[in-house]
Amino acid sequence: MNELGEISLSLSLVVVVYSAFASFFGGAKNNEAMIRSGQNAFFSAFALYSIAGIALMYALMTRDFSVEYVYNYSNRDLNKFYTFSAFWAGQKGSLLLWAWMLGLFGSIAILQNRHKNSKIIPYAVGFISITMTLFSVLMVHASPVFQKLPELPADGHGLNPMLQNPGMIFHPPTLYVGFVAFTIPFAFAMAALLRRQEGEMWIVSTRRWTIFAWFFLTMGNLLGANWAYVELGWGGYWAWDPVENASFMPWLVGTAYLHSVMVQERKGMLKIWNVSLVTITFCLTIFGTFITRSGLISSVHSFGETTVGYYFLAFLIMVIIFSVWLIYSRRELLRSDNNFDSIISRESSFLFNNLALLGAAFAVLWGTSFPMISEMVRGVKITVGPPFFNKVMPPIALALLILTGICPLIAWRKATFSNFKRNFMAPFLTALVSSVAMIAAGLRDLTAWLFFTVSVFVLATIAIEFWRGVKMRLTDGNENPLSAAFNLVNRNRRRYGGFIIHVGAVCMFIGFTGNMFNDQKELAVKVGESFTVKDYKLTYVGAEYNKPKSTKDQFIATVLVEKDGNKLGYMRPEKNIFSNYDMPNSEVSIVSTLKEDLYLVFLALDGENTATFKAHINPLVKWLWIGGMVMGIGTLIAMLPDRREKKFMQSLMENKKA
Amino acid sequence: MNKAKKKLLIGALVIVAAVSYLVYAGIQETSVYYLTVTQSSQMLASNKEFRMEGNVVPGSIKQAPDSLGAEFVITDSAKQAPIKYHGTIPDMFKDNIKVVVQGKYDKNGVFVAHTLLTSCPSKYEASKQNNKI
Repeated sequence: MNELGEISLSLSLVVVVYSAFASFFGGAKNNEAMIRSGQNAFFSAFALYSIAGIALMYALMTRDFSVEYVYNYSNRDLNKFYTFSAFWAGQKGSLLLWAWMLGLFGSIAILQNRHKNSKIIPYAVGFISITMTLFSVLMVHASPVFQKLPELPADGHGLNPMLQNPGMIFHPPTLYVGFVAFTIPFAFAMAALLRRQEGEMWIVSTRRWTIFAWFFLTMGNLLGANWAYVELGWGGYWAWDPVENASFMPWLVGTAYLHSVMVQERKGMLKIWNVSLVTITFCLTIFGTFITRSGLISSVHSFGETTVGYYFLAFLIMVIIFSVWLIYSRRELLRSDNNFDSIISRESSFLFNNLALLGAAFAVLWGTSFPMISEMVRGVKITVGPPFFNKVMPPIALALLILTGICPLIAWRKATFSNFKRNFMAPFLTALVSSVAMIAAGLRDLTAWLFFTVSVFVLATIAIEFWRGVKMRLTDGNENPLSAAFNLVNRNRRRYGGFIIHVGAVCMFIGFTGNMFNDQKELAVKVGESFTVKDYKLTYVGAEYNKPKSTKDQFIATVLVEKDGNKLGYMRPEKNIFSNYDMPNSEVSIVSTLKEDLYLVFLALDGENTATFKAHINPLVKWLWIGGMVMGIGTLIAMLPDRREKKFMQSLMENKKA
Repeated sequence: MNKAKKKLLIGALVIVAAVSYLVYAGIQETSVYYLTVTQSSQMLASNKEFRMEGNVVPGSIKQAPDSLGAEFVITDSAKQAPIKYHGTIPDMFKDNIKVVVQGKYDKNGVFVAHTLLTSCPSKYEASKQNNKI
């Protein structure tokens, strides 16, 4: 099996190089047979990756520890579920998964587009094949997946206990799907430019891919945050670590792109801007992989310093040079069809939203690479940490939140005063009243007050817009309010899906704002002793010891939680020691409500009677997870096919023929 | 260039300037030096905060009785620095691993740290040492 996997990967390299060559050559010469052959080569590359994937999975499942990768990430104790996830626990498996996904998505994109987009699909296949070449080269030369150990060990090293959490099974592949899927819109953009195809065809054809990629990037980041929160035990979910930033940056620019394409579809404007955004997004996915795999920037997520990072760097430089040249040489093609008529219009508010998102991405990029830059320029390493991001991001975030309310409702071209009054007067007043109420209720923090007030404003704009739509349907026909609301969303999935995403975003902002009121306490207590954190009274009842596995020692503390004299229940945080990993691992215990989380970490057991705990009060954290779910639902709605969009697509096709 | 476009450009420039200022000010206020133990000797009398990286000298760890802090020594194989840390001890903290501490030197040349970060290369990639059976 291992040899089969190895051979498949070697063959895949030959096949993808051929696919790239045949696709570009066939496309340029309009040679149908050649184009076909390139596409078939692409499908076979996908098949070869699949075989290699099955071979690696087989090695994992049959505990073939002669394979270094299997030895490193699994052992006999590991259950089937986590053995499965060990596939992407390390770099080599991740590379294979990445290549496989790219093969899968590329194949689907070919099948979707080879007739309706026959002009640009050969070049698109070419660009995707070039990207796949990078992965095949890595898997064959730099980081051979099926590398053997010199002698057969009796048991594997095992999977890091921190990765043995459901969140960690889904987080990496979800993020990879997001990263990989952004290759498709990028390849189509480049192909359209290279082919000198005018218009919005490439945007419309890849719109669903973009939303798909964005959905997974969003969910991947949130799953990572959630994993960090429940597993790492430091009480937070986002540490502005370089690896987190690496997946956050493409998300920011991808979000900007999702918004600005609407301006191009509607008005034929911002064309250079959109091509640039999709290119930057793609580059950031590669850059993110580079900084996390090169060891150049120290991070808690160290992947081990390997040469793999430098392949990504070389690829990144190639992509940047080529795309800048291509965009520059095709600038005539990217002339705007319309002019900006007014600064107070949908077009300009979209542009401002884009600038804010890009500004945020730039700030994150700068903060992340600052140690590297300062070391290169000044010879000293200077680092910035969470304080930098916590200073820079809130003002940008607030601007974005305001635009979330304004953008979708302000008129195209030029907003008049009456348009403004109609859409924003009621939300403005609602926000004003609630902001006064917040002060009356005792809110004294300026930043939090601003965020909550603007959140109310945004929610009010969306609520009123929904209400108007429903009312219109109610007066028009004989629908009940529920079916009216359903039909409203269903008839215009893209628009209302977008509104639902915004509701999710507001919930998330409320969750972020809760961070300003975090509270924590750490101390040692004896059995029977109590301590208080905020209005919770915690009493240490005792600790027990178990040995659920030969390699696992488990200590569980029991703590009674009371609030206002009422017994809320017992919390049972754990401290586990894995003998094969030689380090303890805390399992935190969390009591979560909409108002706040009580987050308890069992730090240490000192002798018979004393235990050390750290308790966090994290207000409003749950809103982040709720917001994430709402956002996901909204995205799925926006992803569904839309009748208006079909019409739009048809009109585009007819224009082409005319 | 029409009037609307001019206004738009000004608006865009304001946003760009605001973000640049935020980033600049943020770096000025929050950046700290990241030094090796050897380089850190220049900071001995400065009373300035910085980050320092080094390996924990085996056998040097003395945990506080309440487990909320530790005294230990880190080294970059040329020089050593004594560390006094107060706070939660990360799960991965042990002999021989690479740590990053943030704080400053006191008058006696002891580095008083309020932040202790562990970065363990074996977290995702099994360490080289473990590959040898």
